[in-house]
Amino acid sequence: MENTNASTIALPKTGKGRKSLSGLRKLLNLRLLARLLGAAAVLIFFVYPILKLILLSFQGEHGLTLDHYANLLQQDRFWSTLRNTAVIVIGSTVFSLVLGTAFAWIVAYTDIRYKGLLHMAVLLCFILPSYVLTLSWSSFMGAQGWVAQGLRMIHADLTPWSMYSMGGIIFVMGIHHFPLVYLFTLDVFRKIPRDLEWAARAGGAGRLKTIRQITLPLALPGLTAGGLLVFLASLDNFGIPAFLGSPVNISVLSTLIYEEIIGFGPSAFARGASLSVMLGVAAVIGSLIQWILLRKSHASDTIQPDHAPRYALGKMRKPLSAVLWGFLLLVTVVPLASMVSMSLKRAYGLGLTPANFTLDNYRYILFENERVWQAIQNSLVLSGVTMLVCLVLGCGFAYMRVRKPTRFNKAAELATAVPYTLPGIVFALSMILVWMEPIPGWNPGIYGSMTILFIAYICRFLILQIRSGITSFMQLDASMEEAARVSGAGAWRKWTAILLPLLLPGILTGGLLVFLTALTELTVSALLYASGSQTIGVTIFSFEQAGNTLYSTALSSLIVLLIGIGGAGLLLVQRWAARKGFKA
Amino acid sequence: MSIEIKHVSKSFGSFEALKDIQLTIQDGEFVAILGPSGCGKTTLLRILAGFEQPTSGEVRMEGRVVAGEHTLLPPEKRRIGMVFQSFALWPHMNVTEHIRFPIRTHKATPARIKGQEEERIRQILELTGLSHLAARMPHELSGGQKQRVAIARALAPEPSLLLMDEPLSSLDAMLRMDMRREIQQVHRRTRSAIVYVTHDQGEALAMADRIVVMKDGRIEQAGTPQDIYLRPETEFVAKFVSKSNLVQGSWSGNLFTPEGSNTAWNGDGIADYFKASGLYPVRPDQFLLQPDGTEGIPGEVVNVQFQGKEFHYDIRSDERNWEVISPVALRLHEKVRLNLADSAEPLGA
Repeated sequence: MENTNASTIALPKTGKGRKSLSGLRKLLNLRLLARLLGAAAVLIFFVYPILKLILLSFQGEHGLTLDHYANLLQQDRFWSTLRNTAVIVIGSTVFSLVLGTAFAWIVAYTDIRYKGLLHMAVLLCFILPSYVLTLSWSSFMGAQGWVAQGLRMIHADLTPWSMYSMGGIIFVMGIHHFPLVYLFTLDVFRKIPRDLEWAARAGGAGRLKTIRQITLPLALPGLTAGGLLVFLASLDNFGIPAFLGSPVNISVLSTLIYEEIIGFGPSAFARGASLSVMLGVAAVIGSLIQWILLRKSHASDTIQPDHAPRYALGKMRKPLSAVLWGFLLLVTVVPLASMVSMSLKRAYGLGLTPANFTLDNYRYILFENERVWQAIQNSLVLSGVTMLVCLVLGCGFAYMRVRKPTRFNKAAELATAVPYTLPGIVFALSMILVWMEPIPGWNPGIYGSMTILFIAYICRFLILQIRSGITSFMQLDASMEEAARVSGAGAWRKWTAILLPLLLPGILTGGLLVFLTALTELTVSALLYASGSQTIGVTIFSFEQAGNTLYSTALSSLIVLLIGIGGAGLLLVQRWAARKGFKA
Repeated sequence: MSIEIKHVSKSFGSFEALKDIQLTIQDGEFVAILGPSGCGKTTLLRILAGFEQPTSGEVRMEGRVVAGEHTLLPPEKRRIGMVFQSFALWPHMNVTEHIRFPIRTHKATPARIKGQEEERIRQILELTGLSHLAARMPHELSGGQKQRVAIARALAPEPSLLLMDEPLSSLDAMLRMDMRREIQQVHRRTRSAIVYVTHDQGEALAMADRIVVMKDGRIEQAGTPQDIYLRPETEFVAKFVSKSNLVQGSWSGNLFTPEGSNTAWNGDGIADYFKASGLYPVRPDQFLLQPDGTEGIPGEVVNVQFQGKEFHYDIRSDERNWEVISPVALRLHEKVRLNLADSAEPLGA
């Protein structure tokens, strides 16, 4: 690595002096070539699709036009979708903010017990794919669910609130996203110096006044950034509105784009592209505001988080614990259990009695329906390959980005973040546009096979691995490497004996994250799959659309099991790393 | 190993870190590179290690060009050991493994050492006083022990050059004193050349055979510790190394008359630079404090710090402040005259 800098400095001189070594010149050319190839790959895979999408939204039969946008603005459907999107996104963001901030404050500041477990329980809501959470809530609150049974016992006419409504979508989305706010604000709260609060108390302010006038204002940048993160996630979310909204004709921007493309009308792609550009612009603006906010709060990077509790709950501890745990159980575990119990029934209308208990649904999806089995295989292969490719590319790039933070490397990082920043449905559409006919008039069959899914997954999830790689490399002082080199280690030995053993926990954690995210992916695959390349998420979606609730709940339960295994693997890696004394 | 640094310059973008450095290091010599932060001393060390390439000029080790404009022998192919400021111990290896790593990895490790690896490890552990800690992991060691491991690792393959980058700066004051002794001992027993980078003039004076004082990417003065301390050649060296006061006055031949006094000081051993610019460097301990009314620069005691065997005074005369170290006890605001302790005799006799 150290050579690159020097050789670029020597570059102008090699042209001048004829005598310079030809070997060196070859090396220089190789480096230049590698750099050009890298730049080309970044442009083709990450930048070009977005440009093509934007271009298509303006392309008419005779040159550039605003027709597609004008048409959209004249449609009632568009305006009602926009209204729904706004209501759902704002509603669920507010809901997440309130829930997330409350949980973060309690975990960060009070002496409530079992914080570690509480932390995991909160995260569970986000770890579960949104469609699994949706299915568990719709089965929990459905006509055959536990709530309905309970209400019937009270009075025969009582029925539960329907999840297939705006309220239902807002509720599930809020529950799914509040862990994001929680994670974000937890750190912010812990970094507020307790002296500031003590000073307010010493100055005569009571507890509530201190929270209102000192803690919350100081946490505001973090809260806003967390809120924007949820805003982006809600815009991006496809699973929840697709499962809960589509059956009752509530559409949001992401589902509308999906319906346009699936509908395959004459100008479907162009209309989808214009919708995508609008959704994408909203997402990019949100990301920019968030980035600016976070850049301002970088000063707090050096403040060590303060993990000691600041408020003793006293007598309130037990009741508050009961409320928190009750809420978390009700929000995740109970609906999940309801979903599992549904999947064990012989038929949809029956209660779960020993006579009705059956494993037939599982037998069907695993052994009798080849498409399901193929979907599981597809998803496993897709996420496995994506993880491996991202591991190699992501770590290699992260290493370059940390050790040589040149402008080119920073720009490349920004470009690789684009597919993940854009809503999944927008990104998926841009993939179709580019890979259907990579060169006009030539269709190599990438679209319609697994290949496009591989490309899309790798492009979308690469940034996750790059980020975790960058974090790992940042923690590793450059002198560790230099000590190895002075000790005589060449590149191979340096990596195998020093760098990889030290980085492995962090890198593997990132890799598993990529694996789990890819395994349960729905949005991108919903638009890109073809017969034979369906994924687990798509299969559950199809079962649900066809009304096969028993099969969709059974497959979802299996997914929960797989995630559980993955999560346990993650914990094992971290535990193993902690025992070895590394920072994971 | 003899090392020649010829006209070495190094720029980072528009910043010139090193400007035309010329330096020769003899076999077995202990050279300290001394200077404030940002003077280029670490860059010079990293060029010697092979982590940086000079922008112009070249570095020769035993006659062979190891770094120049178009060549760069990477660190792993040079026979060097290096001790880092942050120790740079590998968290996943114990003490023995740290010592074994360079013995096995370095291609230049002499065959007699490679052949008797365990014996060499035992020997190095003993030399650095780590025998009882052989199986410890880095996080189980104290600061001083970590530093010893770093030195042990650097010494293990018997390098012909040992580079040390502020190795004592992350240790506390007491420990630094002990480690100075140990580094001297290591140097006496191994006889390998050492290039030692520091910003602490005490360390450099105490250990080095030769000191190279650097400022703003240039060598200000190079010489033995006594030379540097007693006979500074530039204002910077006088101030940075011996904390000298620069007295203004007039020279006539070899005699110096400070401004506002009628005494005359002998100029033997004072560098031409000072004679040309009407200055006389006086170390705090060189001043003689005499009662008011005698010859010398008149002044008033404005601050006193008792330090045990001596007093540290701030003496004000007109607009100037002099730092004086003296065993004579004086009260605050007392009027005194400053003269040179051995003004009658030639210096350095």
